[in-house]
Amino acid sequence: MPEAPITPATVIELLTSEHILEPHEPILPETDLFTLGLDSMAMMQLLLQIEQRFRLTVNPAEMTRERFATAGSLATFLGEKRRLAA
Amino acid sequence: MPTLPATTVDFFLAGLESFMRRSGQGTHWGVTVLRLGGKPDAEALTSRWEQIHAHHPMLGARLKRAWRGWRLVWDSPGPIPAPPVVWHPSQPLPPGAEVLRERFQGRDGGGPLHSPLLMEVFPFGQDGEHVVLLTWRHALLDGTGINLLLEKLASGDADASPPEMAVPKREGIGRVFQRARPLMKRLHAMTSAGCLSAWAKDMPKGGEPDFRVIELSHGQSELAMTRLRTICGEFLQMPFYAAVAARALRLLHEKRGWRSPEIHLHLPCQSRGRSRNLVFGNHMGTLPLFLDAGALGTLEEAVQHLLATYREAMRQDMPRASEALMTLASHLPVRWFIPAVRLTNRGQICSLFHSHTGSFLPGRSEFTGAPVQNVCTIPNVCSPPGLGVFFSDFAGRITVTLSWRRGVISPEEADLLSRGIEADLTDGSPK
Repeated sequence: MPEAPITPATVIELLTSEHILEPHEPILPETDLFTLGLDSMAMMQLLLQIEQRFRLTVNPAEMTRERFATAGSLATFLGEKRRLAA
Repeated sequence: MPTLPATTVDFFLAGLESFMRRSGQGTHWGVTVLRLGGKPDAEALTSRWEQIHAHHPMLGARLKRAWRGWRLVWDSPGPIPAPPVVWHPSQPLPPGAEVLRERFQGRDGGGPLHSPLLMEVFPFGQDGEHVVLLTWRHALLDGTGINLLLEKLASGDADASPPEMAVPKREGIGRVFQRARPLMKRLHAMTSAGCLSAWAKDMPKGGEPDFRVIELSHGQSELAMTRLRTICGEFLQMPFYAAVAARALRLLHEKRGWRSPEIHLHLPCQSRGRSRNLVFGNHMGTLPLFLDAGALGTLEEAVQHLLATYREAMRQDMPRASEALMTLASHLPVRWFIPAVRLTNRGQICSLFHSHTGSFLPGRSEFTGAPVQNVCTIPNVCSPPGLGVFFSDFAGRITVTLSWRRGVISPEEADLLSRGIEADLTDGSPK
């Protein structure tokens, strides 16, 4: 069975359902995640959730500000990573 | 009188403070030093300070038991008047260690502090530099809270009403016990292993709190950031700093000829259901990690081991287990909590308090009109464990605070720890 695509919406759902971020307003695909409190602690939880939910391991060296800046950029990065893994 | 829900971390810190008082270690205070390159706007600072006091009834709150259900609540008399912002006369030098040490013990020149939060401004030097010194009771503020407070003071949105605090969900004791079991098993294993902190039974508990602040130069900070990025990537600062702290304790054990098979580290862990607008009350939970001392040979090995241990702890849902255990413990009278922990942990609480507060005032270069040069926090610690290692980061500038109790760490040992930490951060590069 094909895996569900990784979209900005699935990333946002992960961030909020796992309480990695707790914003006052809805997160949009282009919202800057760092201004919402994506710090070192939240990042460690996010990496584990990515591993569990999308079955993708992100190496620390792959974690750049551009890739993790927004739900949109993160979804693009994870989607590409999955495509390469396949 | 309004009551506000308390979290299990509030209970943990209240238990710790009760233990400190009862063992002659005073109150759990912290100090934040904000160094500015100019004069802060006095009017803006005072007005924001007063707004914060007016909108945060938590500032006058005390932990109490509710009549219904024996649960802990913050009992607040409502907003309390803001203590005046104290402006000191200009001095040639910034406030020295003796001033910080006094505040660190909850005292000012006139005796004990009567407010949980104090702000002082110290002008110094010929170039208009200033230090803003915040002294705060740890029972009301943690590393996240102090950054939120600084942000509110800096941004001027201090008048926004605090949001409703989330009431913790109530569950049957059986379910809570089941959730706590993985951690209980792990704590029993640690007890059998004989985990040591910096404190030993023949050392005093009531020694005066002491500290050392190590401000890395810009060059050293750059080296440390490069090392951090090489080992952990751009964002995993916490495991990097936690590994440095654990290795420092291991170095101390080696110097003393002690053998502790594990280092029990309390990693700050994002607490769920807390709003970033709730400045006061504790935001972070704790994730207990048990590091194999033999796996801390190099910093790279230590970080890899810590990440693997963290991953395993998260798989076992340790943050929730920790919270569940604290929920169970919160049914105890507060004063019994730490003695119970020490009894089950063979006299220890944990090996080491470690904290990484993240970047202070991210994205900000000024504070009420004055350029920010550096920020760091200095919380005091209790014995056991007798030693805490704290890292602050402002715009890439790293500051390390060693905090201990006199009689637990000698001046030579403090030197050894400082050298070890600096060498780890900068890969042994000289200043």
